[in-house]
Parts: sequence; C-alpha cells; structure tokens
Amino acid sequence: MDLPALAKRIHHWAVLVEDGILALLLTCMILLAFVQIALRNLAQTSLDWGDPLLRVMVLWVALAGAIAATREGNHIHMDILSRFLPERFHRPMRRLTDLFSAFICALIAWFAARMVIVEQGDGNIAFSGIPTWILELILPVGFCVMALRFLANALFLPQKELAK
Amino acid sequence: MITALGLLILALMGTPLFIVIATGALLGFYFSDIDLQAIPIEYYRITEMPVLVAIPLFAFTGYLLSESGAPHRLVRLTNAFLGWIPGGLAIVSLIACSIFTAFTGASGVTIVALGALLYPALMEAGYREKFSLGLVTTSGCLGLLFAPALPLILFAVIAQQMGVGRPVSVDDMFLAGILPGLLMIFLLSLWSIKNRPPQSTRPFSAREAWCALKEAVWEVPLPVVVLGGIYGGFFAVSEAAAITAFYVLVVELLVYRDISWRQLPRIMQQSMVLVGGILVILGASLASTNYLIDAQVPTRLFETIHALISDKLTFLLLLNLFLLILGTMLDIFSSIVLIVPLLLPMAVGYEIDPVHFGIIFLANLQLGYLTPPVGIDLFIASYRFKRPIVELFRATLPWFLLLAVSVILITYIPALSLWIPGRL
Repeated sequence: MDLPALAKRIHHWAVLVEDGILALLLTCMILLAFVQIALRNLAQTSLDWGDPLLRVMVLWVALAGAIAATREGNHIHMDILSRFLPERFHRPMRRLTDLFSAFICALIAWFAARMVIVEQGDGNIAFSGIPTWILELILPVGFCVMALRFLANALFLPQKELAK
Repeated sequence: MITALGLLILALMGTPLFIVIATGALLGFYFSDIDLQAIPIEYYRITEMPVLVAIPLFAFTGYLLSESGAPHRLVRLTNAFLGWIPGGLAIVSLIACSIFTAFTGASGVTIVALGALLYPALMEAGYREKFSLGLVTTSGCLGLLFAPALPLILFAVIAQQMGVGRPVSVDDMFLAGILPGLLMIFLLSLWSIKNRPPQSTRPFSAREAWCALKEAVWEVPLPVVVLGGIYGGFFAVSEAAAITAFYVLVVELLVYRDISWRQLPRIMQQSMVLVGGILVILGASLASTNYLIDAQVPTRLFETIHALISDKLTFLLLLNLFLLILGTMLDIFSSIVLIVPLLLPMAVGYEIDPVHFGIIFLANLQLGYLTPPVGIDLFIASYRFKRPIVELFRATLPWFLLLAVSVILITYIPALSLWIPGRL
C-alpha cells in the first residue's frame, strides 16, 4: 500500500524531530555526566542540579528510544506464533497486535496526562525551581506518540517490516 | 487465570512485551480499585534510580565501538599476543568476543562486529567450518558475566527494588561474575585446543605485537580504566559509564576518525532503540511487580513450592530447568525484570545468596541465546553468515553443552560467585 503524500511528509518530518530530540538528549547526557565527574574530581564541587537532571534524562532518552523502536517495529517481543503460522496470517496478526498496542499506549498516555495535571495542581518543585510536572510531561507525550505510531503501523504496515 | 492466558496469547502473537506487561498491571490495578495513574507514576520511578544512568551511556559506547575499527584492532592485538598458543586463534576469538560483549551488553552486536572478522580468519587458519560457525555464534553471548555488561546492572537494579535478603549492589555483581565468566572461557578454550587444526600455531612476533599495541594504544586503557576504576572503588558505575562514553566518543571521532560526525545520529538512534526497549519494559514491570507484591503472589508462590520441595538442591535443579526453558522463549532483559521479582524471594527462602542467585540466573539464561525457537544468536548468525538455523544449531551444540556444564558448576559451587566479592 502506498502512503498518501501528506502522510509521507508527516512521517518524514516526525522522524527528523524524533531522532533529532533523541540525539540532542543523549549528547547533553554524555556531556553533563562527564562535566559532573570532572568538577567533582578536579574542583571538589558539582552542579547541584546535575545529578537529578541526568536521572530525568534517562527517562526522556528511554522514551525517545522507545518511540524509535515503535516506528521500526523493533520492540522486544516473543514472536513465536508467526514462526509456526503460514505467511498469510502474519499481516492480520501484526495489525491486531499493533492496534491493541496503540490502545494500551493511549490508555497510559491518558492516565499520564491526568498525573501531570494533578502534579501541576500540587505545585511540587523537583530541583532548582523546575516544577516536577514539566519533567513528567515526557510520559503523556511519549506514550501518545507511540500510540499514534502503533496506529500508523496498523494502518500502513511499514514496507521494511513486510519484506522481512 | 483467564487474564494470564489472554496475556500469554498476546505475547505469543508478537505483541511488544512492555504492552503485555502494562496490560497485566492495568487490569490488576483496575480490579483492585487502584487509580490507574499508578502506571505512569511507576514509570516515573525510573528517575529515582541513579544506577540507570549507566545503561544509555554504556549502550551507546558499545554501539560506537562496534561501528568503529575497534573490533579489528582488538582481534589483531589479542592475536599478536596469544596467537602462538595451540588453538590460539580460537582462544583469541573467545577472549576478544567476551571483552566486546561485556561492553555491548550481549545484544548480538558481537556476532556482527567481530564474527565477521573472525570467521574468515578461523577458516583460513584451517579450523573446520562447523567448529568456526559454532564458535562465532556462541561468542555472541560470552562475556555476559563480565563488567560492565548491562544484564548485571539490570539484575542489581531489580534486586535492590525487591529488598529481600541482603542488599545487592552493582559492584557485587561485577565482582561475582568474574570467576564464572572465566570458567566458561576456560572450558571453551579446552574444546578449542582439542579441535585445533594440525598446524595452527604461529610463532610469536615481537614486532607484530608492538605494532598491534601501538595501533590500539588509545583503546587498550579502556578495560583497565572501567574495570580498575569500578573494582578499585575509584568511581561509581554511572561515573565509569560517563567517563567511558566521553572517552570513546573523543577517541573514535577525533583520534582514530573511524566514525564521522554524520554517522553519529544513526548510531545514537540505534543504541537508544535498545535502551528504550529495555527501559519501557522495566517501567511496566515496576508497576506489575508492585501489583504482584501487593497481592502477595511471590510469598504464596514460595509457600506452594516449599510445601512440595523442601531441600535446596532439588530447588536449584528445578531452577536450572525452569530457566533453561524460560531462556528458549524470553530474552534476557525481559526475563530479568519479569521473573527475578518472582524467583528472588523464593531463592532467598531456600537460603541462596541473592548475588549467587543473580549469577545463576544470568548464566542460565545465557544458554537461551543458543536454543531454538528464539535463540537470538542463532538468528543473527543465520542472517550474517547466510546459513539455515538448523545447521547453526548443530554447530553450536557442543559449545552449548560445555556452557551447560559451566552453568551446573556455577549453580552448585556458590564459591565461584561469592569468593571474590567476599574478599573485597
């Protein structure tokens, strides 16, 4: 199935944005982690927001990675049944599991959004004046993007996947 | 029961495992009248575990190394120093692969990065084809027990979450894996010596050794810095990961120039696909484990099993069998986050040391890399060397059996795992 031109363009830009954010996050992580150690060992000091920020970045980079994994159909899975079933069942089965995954991700995104709203109301501060809810934002956003990705996979199975 | 069956079918159909686990947790919380916000809250707990910082950093380092000329330099170096031993090239392969797998976290990268170099070299040196195929396929999981392999880190993280038995630190796991890992290499080396071609030895050349050393001079300090730093107590695991990632980035990008700036985003993306895949499963299983503990499942499971099996040895034997079967179906990362929370309290109930249990668990699951239907190493090797799975399975069989022997030794001789951590 050929993707409509608009969907193709959206896909193209989404990939750039997703991977751009991912590379940026990881680069910042490597630099920040290194600066922390250098400061700690050479100057006996460290950025007091450095360590908590690094820990939050792990979550952000993980979700960015999970989005890329969703896009490429590369999540850790068992894939046993398809080895025993004939070829013609593969595609409908993939559709079904993708739709189901989209549903679950959307559900998690929904509850994550509620969590963020509650957190915003509480007004907790994580560190250095940054409110906790901003750091939590990646959860609703990340799961929402994954839900859309799963849905897109279910509608137009990536050509690469079919070739496998 | 029906829920469990439904989840199993979903998993077998190929639904991503984090979805399956999250579904279980969602249902569990729903039926216990717990607000489903609990799921994202558990996910956010990932930010409360400082050790996890090491996972993306080491994973990136591993992918970066595998894309660079490091595998080539590593093989040349080990060959220059150990190639003169009978069966030398095979032993070189085992050692080089172990070092490499420890850094890349046993994701099969070793077969692609090193196997492709070693397989032709082994054939040229006169080793039989079946032997060489078996070796490169097995090499993908060897080294899993050496620091800083990701499964060791992940096990410690989960064990800390459980808080049963004595506390398990990542450092403990890194130390505990040394002797069991060496045992595996030792047994496989004996097999290699037995299967060496008639004229496999080549004389030691000081000149070649010097050249190889000079070529790899920037990478040689790496294991020393990482292992020495961690084992010597100079820095924490996450700090070692940060130093390694930064150092490798500078060396490969600016000194060796094996990797161009333009390749970097792709390497970052690939390594983070692995990390994201592992961590979304971790987040989901934090939630499901929480539910299971609330429902007292581990305790009840232990009581049921304990009523049937009273002695430790029978339990260990069944543990080995169970993990062997588990390993044929589930990859090592999912197994750790899913099964350790159920089995660790049980093992502690049978008075097995948590660190020893961790090494048994990982060593046992290592076998799963080589067993059909989903032995990942078989598939990667099949793809890389264009051979049918069955042929590769036959070729790896002797290697598999030798690894199984080491798993049994590791299981029944706790000192192998506990002697070194106890000394330091």
